[in-house]
Amino acid sequence: MTIDSAAMPGILAVGQSNAALATFILYTLGVFVIAALSNRLLQKKAFLSEYFLGSRGLGMWAFALTFAATSASGGSFTGFPAKIYTHGWVLALWIASYMVVPVCTMGLLGKRINQVARMSGAITVPDILRDRFESRFLGLMSTMLMVFFLVFNLVAQFKAGSLILETLLTGVEPFQTQAARVGDWVSNAAKTDGWTFLLDATGNPVDGGYLLCLMTFGIAVIFYTTYGGFHAVVWTDVMQGVVMVFGVAVMLPLALMQVGGLENATQELAQMVPPRPATICVDWGAQKTEDGVLPSGSWVQQPPATADGQPRLFRTTKSALYVAGTSQVCGVEALEILSDNEITRLTGPESPLTFLDAGVAEINEGDTYAYGSEEEHKGSYVTAPGPSRTDSTGFLPLGVAISFFFMWAISGSGQPQYMVRLMAFKDSQTLRRAIITVTMYFSIIYFPLVIIFVCARVLLPGMENEPDRIMPQMAVLLTENAGVGWLAGLLVAAPFAAVMSTVDSFLLVISSSVVRDIYQRNISPDASQRTIKWMSYFCTLAVGLIALFGAISPPKFLQDIIVYVGSGLAACFLFPVVAALYWPRANKWTCIVGMLGGFGAHLAMHLIGMQLNGSFVNAYRLFGLDPVVVGLVASLLSVLIITPLTPKPPEHLVRKYFYRQPAQG
Amino acid sequence: MPVMNDQPDYDPVFLHCRREAIVIVGVWVAAMIWTLSSCAATGYADGQDVPTIFGMPSWVCWGIALPWLVADVVAIALCLFYIRDDDLGVAHEGADVAEDIRHRHEGEGDGNA
Repeated sequence: MTIDSAAMPGILAVGQSNAALATFILYTLGVFVIAALSNRLLQKKAFLSEYFLGSRGLGMWAFALTFAATSASGGSFTGFPAKIYTHGWVLALWIASYMVVPVCTMGLLGKRINQVARMSGAITVPDILRDRFESRFLGLMSTMLMVFFLVFNLVAQFKAGSLILETLLTGVEPFQTQAARVGDWVSNAAKTDGWTFLLDATGNPVDGGYLLCLMTFGIAVIFYTTYGGFHAVVWTDVMQGVVMVFGVAVMLPLALMQVGGLENATQELAQMVPPRPATICVDWGAQKTEDGVLPSGSWVQQPPATADGQPRLFRTTKSALYVAGTSQVCGVEALEILSDNEITRLTGPESPLTFLDAGVAEINEGDTYAYGSEEEHKGSYVTAPGPSRTDSTGFLPLGVAISFFFMWAISGSGQPQYMVRLMAFKDSQTLRRAIITVTMYFSIIYFPLVIIFVCARVLLPGMENEPDRIMPQMAVLLTENAGVGWLAGLLVAAPFAAVMSTVDSFLLVISSSVVRDIYQRNISPDASQRTIKWMSYFCTLAVGLIALFGAISPPKFLQDIIVYVGSGLAACFLFPVVAALYWPRANKWTCIVGMLGGFGAHLAMHLIGMQLNGSFVNAYRLFGLDPVVVGLVASLLSVLIITPLTPKPPEHLVRKYFYRQPAQG
Repeated sequence: MPVMNDQPDYDPVFLHCRREAIVIVGVWVAAMIWTLSSCAATGYADGQDVPTIFGMPSWVCWGIALPWLVADVVAIALCLFYIRDDDLGVAHEGADVAEDIRHRHEGEGDGNA
């Protein structure tokens, strides 16, 4: 079997050079060195506080970058660029609330949660709630909610990390060889040995390359997190934060240069309409002599019917097999470019594309976009609400835009994995400086990302069916065009670093909850330091391995769950924690009912959505608002209503946490 | 707020934190009103002849880039001149667990008695 080399896309395959592999190896080695150094610190300080909270001694750079890197998950460098590519400039509005995210997520709770955690000696968020209200039930309930939400997220992050690593290493020969071997082994094990966990949701054996990357990525993260604890996570976050900002700093000028300036990119976009899916028959005009593969990403054109007409352009979006003795391959999935300006540019003398030496024999046109394809919506890439394939009201109607202002800035403040970091900084001066640093950091990451991938929409047409690959594709295109292809490996490390920094944080938050809130606080408070130490190692390892196992063949509905749990955590935790920190009248019922109110309302929106729209993820939008806003409002109302109806909190707790403490001695 | 002499005062760190949190919520509300009202007025429009500033659509410039810049300046000013440096105290590591152990032993003692 051959791959039709003439059909290879004009854009180079990702990770062609071994620089990508070298980058990955160097990067991983760096992470392991950091873990070893962190483990030495563990020997010198109080174990639990050091392992899960870095002995509350984070300085400005460590605190700022660990907060920023944890916040910038894999989505920032895969999902977000994919959205910009698919919907255009409206993503600037989608992400706009990041202008206040640092000051909100760090400033609203930071100083106070740090102080309260010090008062009680708490090292986790459930710990704080339990101590603040002296309620074992509240501690256990918040632990359960947190573990429930984060474990699903952890599985998804493992999957994302593996896919990014696979993209990074595609084209590296040693990796391809090993991936093929693993693929053979998986196939045998699944079919002959009955290892059904190696089958994916459709019943096919898991891809060898994916499994290899999952094991490499997963074991590396689990190892350094387990061995090094919080400090290993923080210091690797610092390294990862630097890699991310470096990636953006290199890509921005290259993208602007290669697109001919931002003005040019915007004007091109203003004339564009979204492409249309189609299935086509590719006709070579002569019989093929052997079997072969028509790769995904091949460009093929149908000549114009009239002399002054335009050709029709198609980009294949899935590989197709052809057999010897035939001249056609049919049922090839493709996207048809519909914008006149794109067609003119891509078929002109300066076209960056190489077209297949074949014609199009038959075209079955699919549905156009629900919003953005009509003449009156032309230019939807440069205005709100942006084009949408499925929603006739567009990608970002105003109600949803309002929701996103809550989603990032306010619900971000309610995420326990960020709260834990707020408990770890050294002093309030560190907090002030870190807010300034993260404010500038987010500004130089997120707005430039919008610009870079607006340019990508012009430079890399026809990728709507595989938008998650846009970041690595863009990295390769920009560096190859600039004659610095070796840089691609470093640039693609940015999303990889982003996923890694999120995974390690989640891992530690979950294991700390299990060790501290379940084992030490409920089962064995007088367990020895040595027992706690080994329990911590064991739990981190076990939680990591469970998530790793879950990611081998993630459930089909995983993405639905992720969308749900991402905002569900905030709906549960934000207002109960705010009440615990800032409202002396709050009692344990404030928190319990606030959590259940947020959880219930948020879940109800998804369940109603499932009834009305047939999909759990396509939630019902009450007054056009996202479920997270409904959940937050329900939680706030629950807190405000239940508190006056329930007894006042014990006086000694109010005195302890809200009143000036008498001078010692 | 307690006023009687025999009642303790509120912790100043708590008061500072609460005041700062209220101001931060105000910054968030201001940013939201500016951005959403500006984008609603000029961003949800016909895109073929969209005016540009520095190469970006003008609604992005006035409704997002400019408030983003202002929000950055305000956040930095808050950190430099408004948020107080407070003493957050010494961490009582293990204090809560010690309390758990004490309660457990008291319980055992009661049970034995």
